[in-house]
Amino acid sequence: MKPVRNPLVAIVFWMVIGLLYLPLLNLIMQAFLVDPRNIGSGFSTIWLRKLFASDAFWRPLVTSIEIGVLAATTAVAVATFGAVGLSRVRSTLPPAVQTLILLPILLPEVITGLSLLIFFLLIRVELGFFTVVLAHASFSASFVYFILVEQLRKLDPQMEEAAQDLGARGSQIFWKVTFPNIIPGLMGGWLLAFTLSFDDFLISFFTSGAGLTTLPLKIYSMMRIGISPELNALSFVMICISFSLVITLLSKEQGREWVLKSS
Amino acid sequence: MKRYPGTAWFFFGWLVILTLLPFALILGMSVMERTIQGTIHFTFTLENYLRCFHWLYAKVFGKTVLVAATATFSCLLIGFPVAYHLARSTGARRQVGLVLLFIPFWTNFILRVHAMVSLFGNHGLLNHMLLELGLIEEPIQILYTRTGVYFGLIYNYLPFLVIPIFSALEKLDPSFREAAMDLGANRSQTFWRVTLPNVREGVVVGSLFVFIPMLGEYVIPDLLGGAKEVFLGNVMVSQFFTMQDWPFGAAIAGLLSLILLVALFMQTRWQRRVQGVLA
Repeated sequence: MKPVRNPLVAIVFWMVIGLLYLPLLNLIMQAFLVDPRNIGSGFSTIWLRKLFASDAFWRPLVTSIEIGVLAATTAVAVATFGAVGLSRVRSTLPPAVQTLILLPILLPEVITGLSLLIFFLLIRVELGFFTVVLAHASFSASFVYFILVEQLRKLDPQMEEAAQDLGARGSQIFWKVTFPNIIPGLMGGWLLAFTLSFDDFLISFFTSGAGLTTLPLKIYSMMRIGISPELNALSFVMICISFSLVITLLSKEQGREWVLKSS
Repeated sequence: MKRYPGTAWFFFGWLVILTLLPFALILGMSVMERTIQGTIHFTFTLENYLRCFHWLYAKVFGKTVLVAATATFSCLLIGFPVAYHLARSTGARRQVGLVLLFIPFWTNFILRVHAMVSLFGNHGLLNHMLLELGLIEEPIQILYTRTGVYFGLIYNYLPFLVIPIFSALEKLDPSFREAAMDLGANRSQTFWRVTLPNVREGVVVGSLFVFIPMLGEYVIPDLLGGAKEVFLGNVMVSQFFTMQDWPFGAAIAGLLSLILLVALFMQTRWQRRVQGVLA
């Protein structure tokens, strides 16, 4: 497109950008207000210090990280099985298979969460840590799958063929030829799955049962009670965590593409 | 069936057990009967689906579609100039613009909703400023109204509409516009009669891209809309948890999925057409 000078368009653009940041900047500011209901009350780090001193922050943080690590590892393992297996299939996948792989991405989260909850209840699995891990791994596996397929497509098929000709078995081919070549994709996929799990609210909300609290669930339950200085401080910390996760993702090759695609 | 290796079958099994089977359970439940005691009876019935068309639920359905459509249209009005600005800027400026647009969306979703609450609440920044400036006497009630839902929807979905329009504008051949200008069209004529018709498909695809997930929205109406502004998703969840009527809740889920699938099908058809046009 050739530039057409119309200052109005630029003004609208910068106004929209400003409005997108306003609520977040307001949150960050409120985290440092002595009295969050009074802007003139002065700034301090008292609420942040209180947050760091309380169990109400550390327990959900540790839970979120544990769930994220397990879910991401499971998702990457499952997606690797799928991607490596299906990349050997020359023809395009039939629509039914494509839909099956896309289903976790296509279904609205509220339906995914509800159906998993009903499923867990019917097979009488106790809701808690492991149901959340399974639920997170199940929806992130498809995202990771698409990253890995893209990475595998760039591999020269002749490498695997050469290994085969030289007498390598299936598992040897994978560990000695394929695996070292898709490490960047595996790492990127793991980070993406971890971020998806760490940020997820709705699916955890349905599959966590009564006792388990992740950070987003903590924010939700605090919001239900009302706005509090502790909640503002927690929000500030969450913003910092989310940004550092994304910056890590961005620093990876192709990371930006994945972030844009997954959001 | 033999042509897939064992590892692929492992992946299929995982998808079938953890995604397809739970979803199929819901669909199966939606055609079963609920007894007076609240248990589920295994007899086939379409009663649950017919109940979705009862005026009480039809009204919620209508409202969900109306609010989602209005929010999509607002996103379009705001998003088009944003996409236009991005498309006409080049190089580093464009990259920075795109990253700036997406940074707020890398934060947690529930956090963004909370950010809206603390901005629009009765003690929030907006009301505080307006009261301070003497523009209003009483705080304006935005939260727990339909306006709150609109703000929440537009805020959380805007970039997903900007990107498809941006890529359509980016791919537009500049010679189209030059030709229009050479033939004596002024700027607004060029825009309305050349630029806009050529990115129409991008606009439709982008609109469906935000309209479809909005229809299935649950958290935004729940936290920003209060008790009165409920979407279909909220009615569905309350059937499961409050009313304990699982088959009816399942029927709403079935209907919602059907609408999403139809919309998705339309979107892919449009997208193919776009690709056909641009190829």
